[in-house]
Amino acid sequence: MKRSEAATWFIAPALLLLAAVTIYPIIHVIYLSLHRKLLIFGISEFVGLQNFLFLLKDGRFWGALGNTAYFTALSVSGELILGLALALLMNKAFSGKGFVRAMVLIPWAIPTVVSAKMWEWMYNGDFGILNYLLGTKVNWLGDPFWALHAAIMMDVWKTTPFVAILLLAGLQLIPPDLYSAARIDGAGPFRLFRHVTLPLIKPMILIVLIFRSLDAFRVFDAVYVLTGGGPANTTETLSVYAYKVLFQTLQIGYGSALAVVVFICVGLIAIGFIGIMGRRVAYR
Amino acid sequence: MRKGLLYISLMLVIFYSVGPLLWQLITSLKMDYELTRIPPLLPENPSLVHYIAIFKGRMFLRVIANSAVVASLTTLFALAIGSLCSFGLAKLATRYKALILGFVLSISMFPPIATVSPLYLVIRSIGLRDTWWALIITYTTFSLPLTIWILTSFFRELPDEIYYAARVDGCTPFQSYYRIVLPLSAPGIFATAILVFIFSWNEFLYALTLTSTQASRTIPVAIALFPGIHEIPWGEIAAASVTVTAPLIILVFAFQRRIIEGLTGGAVKG
Amino acid sequence: MLTKFPLILLLLCLSLFYCAACTKTPHDGEKGSYVTIVFTHGKIPGDYEQFKRILRQFERENPGIRVVDRTLPSSTDEQHQFYVINLDAGSKDFDVLSMDVIWVPEFAMAGWLRDVSGLLSESELHDIFPGPLEAVTYMGKRYAVPWYIDAGLLYYRKDLLDDIGAKPPKTWDELVRTARLITERSKGIYGFIWQGKQYEGLVCDVLEYLWSHGGNVLENGKVVLHSPENVRALTFMRELIVRDRVSPEIVTTLVEESSRHIFGNGRAVFMRNWPYAWNIFERDGSPVKGKIGVAALPSAAGHPSASTLGGWQIGINRHSKHPDAAERFVRFLTSRESQKTLALTVGYKPTRRSLYSDADLKRQQPFIASLHDILLNARPRPVSPYYMMMTQILQPEFSAAIAGIKKPSDALMSAERQVQHVLGVRP
Repeated sequence: MKRSEAATWFIAPALLLLAAVTIYPIIHVIYLSLHRKLLIFGISEFVGLQNFLFLLKDGRFWGALGNTAYFTALSVSGELILGLALALLMNKAFSGKGFVRAMVLIPWAIPTVVSAKMWEWMYNGDFGILNYLLGTKVNWLGDPFWALHAAIMMDVWKTTPFVAILLLAGLQLIPPDLYSAARIDGAGPFRLFRHVTLPLIKPMILIVLIFRSLDAFRVFDAVYVLTGGGPANTTETLSVYAYKVLFQTLQIGYGSALAVVVFICVGLIAIGFIGIMGRRVAYR
Repeated sequence: MRKGLLYISLMLVIFYSVGPLLWQLITSLKMDYELTRIPPLLPENPSLVHYIAIFKGRMFLRVIANSAVVASLTTLFALAIGSLCSFGLAKLATRYKALILGFVLSISMFPPIATVSPLYLVIRSIGLRDTWWALIITYTTFSLPLTIWILTSFFRELPDEIYYAARVDGCTPFQSYYRIVLPLSAPGIFATAILVFIFSWNEFLYALTLTSTQASRTIPVAIALFPGIHEIPWGEIAAASVTVTAPLIILVFAFQRRIIEGLTGGAVKG
Repeated sequence: MLTKFPLILLLLCLSLFYCAACTKTPHDGEKGSYVTIVFTHGKIPGDYEQFKRILRQFERENPGIRVVDRTLPSSTDEQHQFYVINLDAGSKDFDVLSMDVIWVPEFAMAGWLRDVSGLLSESELHDIFPGPLEAVTYMGKRYAVPWYIDAGLLYYRKDLLDDIGAKPPKTWDELVRTARLITERSKGIYGFIWQGKQYEGLVCDVLEYLWSHGGNVLENGKVVLHSPENVRALTFMRELIVRDRVSPEIVTTLVEESSRHIFGNGRAVFMRNWPYAWNIFERDGSPVKGKIGVAALPSAAGHPSASTLGGWQIGINRHSKHPDAAERFVRFLTSRESQKTLALTVGYKPTRRSLYSDADLKRQQPFIASLHDILLNARPRPVSPYYMMMTQILQPEFSAAIAGIKKPSDALMSAERQVQHVLGVRP
């Protein structure tokens, strides 16, 4: 069997499943974004790109976009740095390694809806454990400045294990003799990291960056439960805005257009990362 | 000195990760009237009343079983289908590799709230509403992008020579995939398995929309049913979150050894 | 080991596959001569079994009809989402639905509800509170039957007020004065807490201030948000936090439960909340048991007290396959007997006024019986199919005013402009 024929057999099941399940929803969303569909009027008419033109003039959209971009940038950087630190730590030899690895996973393992409610109560200005332990009286979720940062901190806490697990797997592929050889050449820990570790886990870092950015840009549950988008829409991300437009005001066309914009933005981010980190890293 | 620093860092890490769950555990042992009173941090009369409440009527057990089945099957299917695809992309020459990876990635780029409604209509029309399969199919599909990207990257790391050597020895592509490549990529496979399992265990939006009775309801949806129109039984929610997180951690801990085994039974490089 | 592993995996796979195939999917089987109707609703508080008994009673009185009830997540957002997805798709999966008071005109205009104007007799119409009746009416017809009612109340610490010889305040200024007197005497206690997070509850709270200062949202179809009364009202709310210092800053994060917890721990003098909190405060072990009083909310001098209407209504899916059975069920569930039973067992406040002078209710649920006058004056939020759009405009603007991001006047002006735009939308 020729390689390319064999390849088709291997790849087909995945592609078929993906296409079968997601083609209709995705086409449906794009189709709706080109329509003016208001459920309570029972209208549904084709309007081309009108929804997108309106979007450009919509102040609330730009606010949500700004919040989302800020949230994504800070969240992903935080997770990456912390996750990498955690992965490096867990890669060392010490007794109880397995135990620590399991413990580290806990934030990721708690369901988001529970996690968000839990943090909402921890952030409470009166009976929240956070103010109690820190001795502060910060209005975490009600202050326009702190609210978005509180959401970011919660997101970083929750998703750092995801990053750590993937980077750890990447670290485990690095052969130990590379380190020994470099040490013999006189490299200290920082140079080891920069010249041995970092280049070899670049593929994993790229995957982490792409998938975490995808998720952070589309964040919904965490923010919606924590603050509902408030105060005064200062924590309203694009998904929260889209949810309100779709399911609260029932403007199906405009809500779908917002979803398409999220899709485009995320696509641009992914392309950006792949471009920066080199196509060779992603696929040869 | 370095060991000391190491252990301090570990303590901090554990506190950072486990702290909130520990707080949940403490909360779950508090009676209703002291749920939000701090100080004192610890319950005056620790009691298991919330744990008893969530298991009353045995519905929660059914829900945990639903989650277990859905998550396990999703993980199996996602790994099986995903690794096959990754092998094809990594080892067998294809011209459209970039396109396929891009297409696969684009599946994860839509906000779920937009796709949930049409997906629900599809599931309804094929009569799978409120079944395990609705969730298994959905979750497997949405786990594939991550699975394929991770495993493609892992499989690529293995030198081609190993593959050629196997082929020379008479292995078919499938045999070399199964006997050689999979075992050598154990760390990647188990990391992916953990992430996919946890994703299915905790997914909320699709589970909420596609299930309607305890026949197929999963844990996050069941927990969302605890609150009343105004009152939120925080003690029970805390007890439930502890109850459903513990098995995950135990599972991961048990499978830890396989990850280490995969590592040391490792690749022949250089 | 490596060769045994796949075998184990295969066995695991097969057994799970078998289990999955065995899932029993409940179908509303229409075997034999009976008809099944499905009733969807949020979580019933208290003992669910009591509620099921009511359903069984209906089945006994109506042989040939079976009722299956489905519980939805209590969050009104999630229920709304469920109904929108299903009703838009023309689902016949449920026949009778329980709706939040603010959805009825919207669902009615979208054509999702059956006209149920005929289900209530003239005498019954006079017996039901006017607020809910107004809320379920769209274009002169009724599309739901009021099931149970809710309204905003003022909770106060009787013991603390008695200590300084104060009476429950009738005006907002009195409330501020009393709260300050008490908080100056006892440290570590808040004066007045209410729901200020950006969500639907915020609109409920703010409307109470707007109305009690003589303002409104809509007047004869005109948008009157940017009025001097409303500016005064919204400014008063912000001043509660910054000038009078009786409300803490964290009020911008509070919802029903968090404010209930703070008050229930004894850390506030006054609280605005729904009636549900009363029972919780009177439970054994509650730090404030026996120390709480309730009253109508205060108002600005010269204006009547105002309270926002809550509660749920029962409607019929327009695509229901069994409209007659559904109508019977709706009549049963909202009947005097059922409402009385629900009041006695799960604490739902009846929408029928005559029940409030019922001897059993007065004896067993005196708190509910005492609420009659407040419920009589409960005002619905703007009854309009566009309300859901309006609230999405009002929430951020009110939140901005309360959090000090915008001046109340600017927030109201912006809200007025946006609401006018929405109401001007015509197909």
